[in-house]
Amino acid sequence: MPTAATGSHRPVLATLVVIFFALPAVGCREDAEEGVKVLRVANWGGVQVDSEFMRLERKIREEFEQLHPGVRVRFEQIPGPGQYAPKLLMMHVTGSVPDVVHLDASSAAVFIDNGVLRDLSPFIERDADFDLEGYFENVTRIAARGDRLYAIPLDFTPMVMYYNKKLFDAAGVPYPRPGWTWDEFLETARKLTVFPEGARAPTQYGFNFENQPPLWMMWIWNNGGDLLDPEGRRATGYFDSPESIAAVQFLVDLMTKHRVAPHLTESAAAGLDLFRAGLAAMDLKGHWMIIDYRADQMNFGVVGLPTNLPRRVTVVYEAGLAVTAHAKHPDLGWEYIKFMTSKGVQVRRVASGLAISGNRAAAAEFAGNPVEDAFLAEVEYARPPWGAKVERFPFIEDLVREMLEDILYSHGKLPVSKAMHETAKLIDAALAH
Amino acid sequence: MHQGDHNWRGYVFVAPATIYLGLFAFFPMLFAAWMALHRWHLLKENHEFIGLGNFLALAQDPFFRNAIANTLVYVAASVPLGVITSLAVALLVAQPLRGVGLFRTLFYIPAVASQVAISMVWIWILLPEVGLLNSALSWVGFDGSRNYLAEPGWAMAALVAMSLWIGLGPRMVIFLAGLQNIPEQLYEAAAIDGATGWQRFRHITLPMLAPTTLFVVVTTTIAAFQLFTPVYMMTRGGPRRTTDVVLYHIYREAWQKFEVGTASAMSYVLFAMILLVALVQFRIMRRSMQEGAAA
Repeated sequence: MPTAATGSHRPVLATLVVIFFALPAVGCREDAEEGVKVLRVANWGGVQVDSEFMRLERKIREEFEQLHPGVRVRFEQIPGPGQYAPKLLMMHVTGSVPDVVHLDASSAAVFIDNGVLRDLSPFIERDADFDLEGYFENVTRIAARGDRLYAIPLDFTPMVMYYNKKLFDAAGVPYPRPGWTWDEFLETARKLTVFPEGARAPTQYGFNFENQPPLWMMWIWNNGGDLLDPEGRRATGYFDSPESIAAVQFLVDLMTKHRVAPHLTESAAAGLDLFRAGLAAMDLKGHWMIIDYRADQMNFGVVGLPTNLPRRVTVVYEAGLAVTAHAKHPDLGWEYIKFMTSKGVQVRRVASGLAISGNRAAAAEFAGNPVEDAFLAEVEYARPPWGAKVERFPFIEDLVREMLEDILYSHGKLPVSKAMHETAKLIDAALAH
Repeated sequence: MHQGDHNWRGYVFVAPATIYLGLFAFFPMLFAAWMALHRWHLLKENHEFIGLGNFLALAQDPFFRNAIANTLVYVAASVPLGVITSLAVALLVAQPLRGVGLFRTLFYIPAVASQVAISMVWIWILLPEVGLLNSALSWVGFDGSRNYLAEPGWAMAALVAMSLWIGLGPRMVIFLAGLQNIPEQLYEAAAIDGATGWQRFRHITLPMLAPTTLFVVVTTTIAAFQLFTPVYMMTRGGPRRTTDVVLYHIYREAWQKFEVGTASAMSYVLFAMILLVALVQFRIMRRSMQEGAAA
């Protein structure tokens, strides 16, 4: 009897086993479709809303599919701030990383230096229709290691100073000109600050400061300092140098002494973008803001960063396209990169105001527009972000951001130089580990 | 029937749970112990054996110490407040009042909602100027401009306040069950002896609830040590690392820095802390129970 019972259970068990092992395969059905090659492309950002830009992206993708019959491009959007790099790296470790990834210059090093990406130089050598000269050299070198190149620039932006022409005109202050100094910047910011008698805080600020290191580290460069040594191995002797300390002191003074920029509590309390709201006259940002400013119909201008050096410096933030080391279709990936960075596609993509095309011919199409010209003029002063070179830089940025919070919330009790000496040692420890 | 078949069937019945626990609980625990003894970066090839090196480094690490301190602050604030408020609410909804079933359900609702969704709601409640809390404050004439999640001190207070609300339901239900187990005769006898309401609560309800309270305190403490989702959603450890609690710190170490060796060591430190605190709580409560019995 028991033998018979166990015997009769066998088909049930067999079915369960089949279901158990077959289930995971259901999810992969798309890849296994007869004769269709699926090219997986990862990008940051959330769910695709039906915006004009997204419709354009879809159309461009379809054009690529028409050029390559039997190929389907699958976009994999990875949402959440700070989630993109960790998720892709995890996919790399588990062998499920997409064929092509968008590479953010600010976090490029961790991808390049851990074998996540493929060296593209053999593709470039083999390919007669691709010419690297057609791309901004300052931008392509972000993803270069010696002779090897790990990404082709899609689009980029140097960081610039935006100014609100309406507020400048109302105060009768002339627009800033390239090559202006910190003294001139402070003087301009003072004239544009409105601080009514008896008020707790200014009702209009000259400059909108935000404590995001990617938005303010260039001040240190423009005073002759830096965060790390040229090799990116240590911060002591650089981040705590007199030049670096004076730069951060200048920023702190803007908020606390001169009162031309909002203190952290003031901008937090405002809970909105003060520059966009017309409550701050200048802001240090990238090209992407133009989408919003245009939507607001703001009358704005753009100028290079103020400097204490003979030659100004800014940072360039960039998005590139790379083929992964574990890509299933590397050659197809390369074709996709070539297509996406080509002039025809680029002209249509950057028309949205998002960024400057990495393709020089596409970027040149927008010359003549004063804002675009002002942006292009800054490209030659731009250096790559530290995150393109130093794997742990995102965590160093956290340390630096928290340091400035500590200084500002201490209300003068924590001197800038002491904080920077301590932080330089913390950065060294983070780099050494 | 022979014995062999029975054994075979028994194993089949426990197999799913055994396989599940083995694969997803015991194996990872042992593997984490192994990783904790190595310098182990997820993206690097070689894993150097360093013995207790990770633990020694943690003892020196100011950020990990800060995370432990933040966690202890959170536990010290949220556990007593959480237990007291849920006991108070349980006492209220234990009253035979009209519509009390509705209130019990309402108080329980946060427990079945996703913590991510709850966090989103609380972000909205706590927004400066336009948030529910600030709007309400400014209506009654107080300062309604505070950005609670962006100011050191306030952010942790906000997390504690939110934890009271999330954990209220489950704790309340357990207290309710405990309250219903107290024999009615005790209260009747006390009433005949002329005991006041407070005396009845102090000398009957509390001692009779002691085992329930122990359970609630221990489970609440363990949960408090493992605070993660609201921090991840609402503060990301900020402002100025004031809400960087141990579990969030471990998450960052493992899944953003990929230092799974140190992250595993941190997990074991957290495990030891929880075990220690739970043991101490058992000790204290058992002693007070014995004293209660003796009195």
